[in-house]
Amino acid sequence: MHHIANASLTDKVMSSGESNPAATPTPCVDIQGDGRWMTLHNHFVSNSKDKEPDVLFVGDSLVQLLHQFEVWRELFSPLHALNFGVGGDETQHVLWRLSNGELAHISPKVVVLWVGTNNHGHTAEQICGGIMAIVQLIKDKLPKAYTLVLGVLPRGKMPNPLRERNAQVNKLVQEAVSSLPHASLLNVDPGFVHSDSSISHQDLYDYLHLTPQGYQAVCQPLHAHLKGLLEKQAEN
Amino acid sequence: MSGDEMNPAAVAQAVEDIQGDDRWMSQHTRFVQECKDAEPEVLFIGDSMVQLMQQYEIWRELFSPLHALNFGIGEDTTCNVLWRLQNGELDNIGPKVTVVWVGTNNHEHSAEQVAGGILAIAQLLTSRLPKTKVVVLGLLARGEWPNPLREKNVAVNGFLRTWLPRLGQTQFLDVGAGFVHSDGTISTRDMFDFLHLTAAGYRAIAKPLIDLLLQILEETPEEKRASLV
Repeated sequence: MHHIANASLTDKVMSSGESNPAATPTPCVDIQGDGRWMTLHNHFVSNSKDKEPDVLFVGDSLVQLLHQFEVWRELFSPLHALNFGVGGDETQHVLWRLSNGELAHISPKVVVLWVGTNNHGHTAEQICGGIMAIVQLIKDKLPKAYTLVLGVLPRGKMPNPLRERNAQVNKLVQEAVSSLPHASLLNVDPGFVHSDSSISHQDLYDYLHLTPQGYQAVCQPLHAHLKGLLEKQAEN
Repeated sequence: MSGDEMNPAAVAQAVEDIQGDDRWMSQHTRFVQECKDAEPEVLFIGDSMVQLMQQYEIWRELFSPLHALNFGIGEDTTCNVLWRLQNGELDNIGPKVTVVWVGTNNHEHSAEQVAGGILAIAQLLTSRLPKTKVVVLGLLARGEWPNPLREKNVAVNGFLRTWLPRLGQTQFLDVGAGFVHSDGTISTRDMFDFLHLTAAGYRAIAKPLIDLLLQILEETPEEKRASLV
């Protein structure tokens, strides 16, 4: 019963590339003219050649910006973490980056994956498919690693379709990883949506990106969870 | 100089909500509300270069004490800033200094058009706030290696250097010195994605900026100035 339900779910979430653009590895095309996306990717590939991270953070601007604030040095540097976040990235961009060298020289014990909010034009099912394609890729390239998928946060000052979409993504991913021993979904939303349904700029300064205060609220439980995972990996 | 009707970079334009969560308008609405509640001595307006500054310690250390407001919105062009200034973000306030930092996102426009858009912003500020001094920050270099956008931003700065002094109460400040190394590269220590500044990058630009702001604030006659350095 459980396995049958799993198979139909896999079809539903479309983690195979051909029919799902969110699950088809795609580099970012340089429209602006300064080649920054590819530069960053190349930096990540070469950076990884002399590092031995225990934890790899990969994703979009929510990952990238985390690296700029004190909270990174406080909580994640001590865990020997590397940060491969790129602002604007969608699931298919992260999939391309990880398929093209960013995992080639490292063996982290845990990969923290935070991506999906920028997949505009994709359905929740497609985005989930994209995330699951990344989870599968990580398993293929790093058989011993554990993948911790972070739930996509709510966004916008007041209720809107993107909040619904992101909540649906989280629900679908939760179902998809529930039977996997090497991956899980962690909800890191500490309660950003207030009782009047609004989100505060003190937590998300533009109703999408986290303030340092917002990061503290997200990262304290994340850090505790990571430490637990690392200890368990060490025992295995 | 800027031929407003023919310069698309000088045409006020709101950002359309394509993504679906209306974040640009929410931020604008919040800024209009802040104008009702606050009495800033310094107003910062622009794109993510302005917006991100408020998230680092340096804002609280150096700029909050000057009673500064931050009206930066990521990805804004000169057109978007013009629209915001015309639609409430200058109401009820009388800052002594307005710092303008915008232009690097004007991808559809030529260097001359971008400079014209920035000039239009400065003109709007001096006409709406006759007592304010306007400080326009130069556009920074971007990208790890030399590229067309660096050349474009240098050209914008060139136009601004010539045009702005002709406008009263307005000056140009280049805060980009030192970011491009002798081998032509920019370091991620200064710009974590070769565009946006790190804490260290903001520290570097804050020094000449704060010096200028203090100088202007000192020069400005004042009835009460509580907590300045």
